[in-house]
Amino acid sequence: MSKRVGIVGAAVTPFKAKWYEKTYYELAQMATREAVKDAGISINDVEAVFYGIYNDIFERTCIPEHPLQGICGMQNKFGMRISTGGATGAYTISAAHAYLAAGRFKTALVLGVEKATDCFDFLSMSATPEVIKSIGWSADSFFEQKLGWTAADSYAEVVLAYMDEHPKDLKPHVTAKISSLLSEYVKTNKYAQRQHDQVTPEEVMNSRLVVYPFKELEICVYTEGAAALILAEEETAKRISKNTGMPVIWITGLGEANEHSFAGKNQKVMPRIMSDYYGSHRAYKMAGIKDPKKSINIVELHDAFIHQLEISMAEFGLVPLGRADSLIEDGLMLKGGKYIVNPCGGLVYSGHAVGASNIMSAWSARNELIKRKKKTALVHGTGSTIAQYTAVAILEHD
Amino acid sequence: MAKKKEKLIPAEYIPDVGSQIVTIDGKKCLVANDVMYTFYQRSKGEFSQFFLALRDDKKILGCKCPKCGIVRCPPFLTHCPDCDFAPTKLVELDQVGVMLSTPPITYFANALFLKMAPYGRGRVVLKGADTALSVNVYTTTGILTPGIIKKGTQVKVVFRDDRVGEISDIFCIPTSELTRAQVARKGLLSSQINWEAPVEPTLPKATAKETEAYNKALKEMKSIIRLMNVTERARKDIAGWKRDIQVKTTGGHFAILINNGDIKLEEKKLVKPDFVLVSKNPKTLADGLAYRGAITDSVIMKRLWISKNMEFTTIFKLDRMARSVARSKK
Repeated sequence: MSKRVGIVGAAVTPFKAKWYEKTYYELAQMATREAVKDAGISINDVEAVFYGIYNDIFERTCIPEHPLQGICGMQNKFGMRISTGGATGAYTISAAHAYLAAGRFKTALVLGVEKATDCFDFLSMSATPEVIKSIGWSADSFFEQKLGWTAADSYAEVVLAYMDEHPKDLKPHVTAKISSLLSEYVKTNKYAQRQHDQVTPEEVMNSRLVVYPFKELEICVYTEGAAALILAEEETAKRISKNTGMPVIWITGLGEANEHSFAGKNQKVMPRIMSDYYGSHRAYKMAGIKDPKKSINIVELHDAFIHQLEISMAEFGLVPLGRADSLIEDGLMLKGGKYIVNPCGGLVYSGHAVGASNIMSAWSARNELIKRKKKTALVHGTGSTIAQYTAVAILEHD
Repeated sequence: MAKKKEKLIPAEYIPDVGSQIVTIDGKKCLVANDVMYTFYQRSKGEFSQFFLALRDDKKILGCKCPKCGIVRCPPFLTHCPDCDFAPTKLVELDQVGVMLSTPPITYFANALFLKMAPYGRGRVVLKGADTALSVNVYTTTGILTPGIIKKGTQVKVVFRDDRVGEISDIFCIPTSELTRAQVARKGLLSSQINWEAPVEPTLPKATAKETEAYNKALKEMKSIIRLMNVTERARKDIAGWKRDIQVKTTGGHFAILINNGDIKLEEKKLVKPDFVLVSKNPKTLADGLAYRGAITDSVIMKRLWISKNMEFTTIFKLDRMARSVARSKK
């Protein structure tokens, strides 16, 4: 019988476009220091660490986690890195949960960190093109890299295929409204990269096309930062909770799926994000959720692109496929609507520190469940080529 | 067949050794120019026949499973995982197919693909195949814009004249832009296609009304550019950037001069501009600079013409400056 596992501590560093004054060593330690403080325990009480770091190139080091073992006070303890593209953070939570649920450890640190914008393009004298280039090395090296594959054009392939099937969905004024809404939500996230960057739907519509059909203000921004969670098995979690006075947020469901990386018969179904479908529905099953529309209150969704946010919500079963615009048109994600989606501002406004992003989302979901006294949240990570990878966690408040 | 005189890393991409100081909250932070690089002699292994067929024979191979009959292209495996790993067999495929879905178009490319942008990348299901091959897609009619190539568009594989045994040896264009003979030809070469050369649009002589509109737009652009020049965020957008742009519009010509954080508008003709921007309606450019619509979108939608596609980067920077000024006003 597997053990229940809950979140008893969480922290994030500020997400910034560039941390000149800190390396990823210090960012990782900052998040760790604050997370153990939040849990009211010593780092000596933590038995294992699970690192979420996406890209060796960003950190300019292969095995980038090795210096962190000592820096974070985990010398001579279990340490393992998870790297699954954009879904790294969510998969890291999943891995840590498995070890705790199996009884291998009583407590674990889930630590995500990324320092993306040290990458720098000396031709355009800006970081973003080099960050995009670095991510481009993630594409299939035989059949796609040399065609100019990027994360954006890869997700755009899926979005356009969806739009081929549902030409009346994902309307430009709806995606613009969602982006604008998230820019309002981010005002309360003091750790976000774009906390003070509020935009109108018109500004979103007027922003430049980067990769058709994505406009600049509909795309997540690359950022630098770290996020950490302290997980504990049931007895330890309850003891920590009693000490801190903070409720345990239980991880009651997890689901993951990785699709085929090539498209066509028996392979990737281009108009769908089946990884999101399988990931979410497996998580519902584990959590005993029969009707997600009734159970899910808060969604912290990996919004790499606003269009993909809408498709992901449909794959989660929260809106119908082909009617994802009902998120706005029927007011489902408007203030006071049925779902609270990305109250942290999402990755479009908080920033995307890849390995740390989904862990930041879990930090936010935990805060929101406690603050708003809600029961259930869904935390999501998506990644790899053509939205191939997904990991979903269901968090529940007692 | 290797390309001659090309380096794996072009010299212009390689920065000098150096460092700089950035002061944050009164503290000096050291930032060093740095690089990670690894060279390879990369084995193409089981894919060798596929890439050699592209390079030497102008053929496209797929692999067929004798059990389930599925034909995969590219032939990315040797045994079918759907049939208990039955061995597959290489087969030659047709060089015409249809787009599996509408391909995205990349306008903002990184340094490796700057010369290609804007480019489409989509998936073609070739006749005789069941799965899709990732390819670049182009049009012979100029800049690739949304709507030219869609789901179901029939396309023809075209081989580059200078092939090196990579997937980029081929690309696709719509068959509707080719003659029947070209569509039927196996191993059609890029040089056997008529590509539209960029021809600078001619502008009509301005009427009195158009001259008035030009003067109005010019006044606004001067004002915005002055503002850009004093907005720290906008100046940062063009740090380290230098371009002399000749702008031609109905009503008059002027120059936009960018130089490492400085931007100026001068009413003059340049002898050697870095590129030419033609805006039939001067208001189109004025709107873009005033953040009333992206200038890049105007290029994409052919309301503005630029003499070098690579200069999309500069256009992006102008868009970014417009946004920076708008943000600074908030």
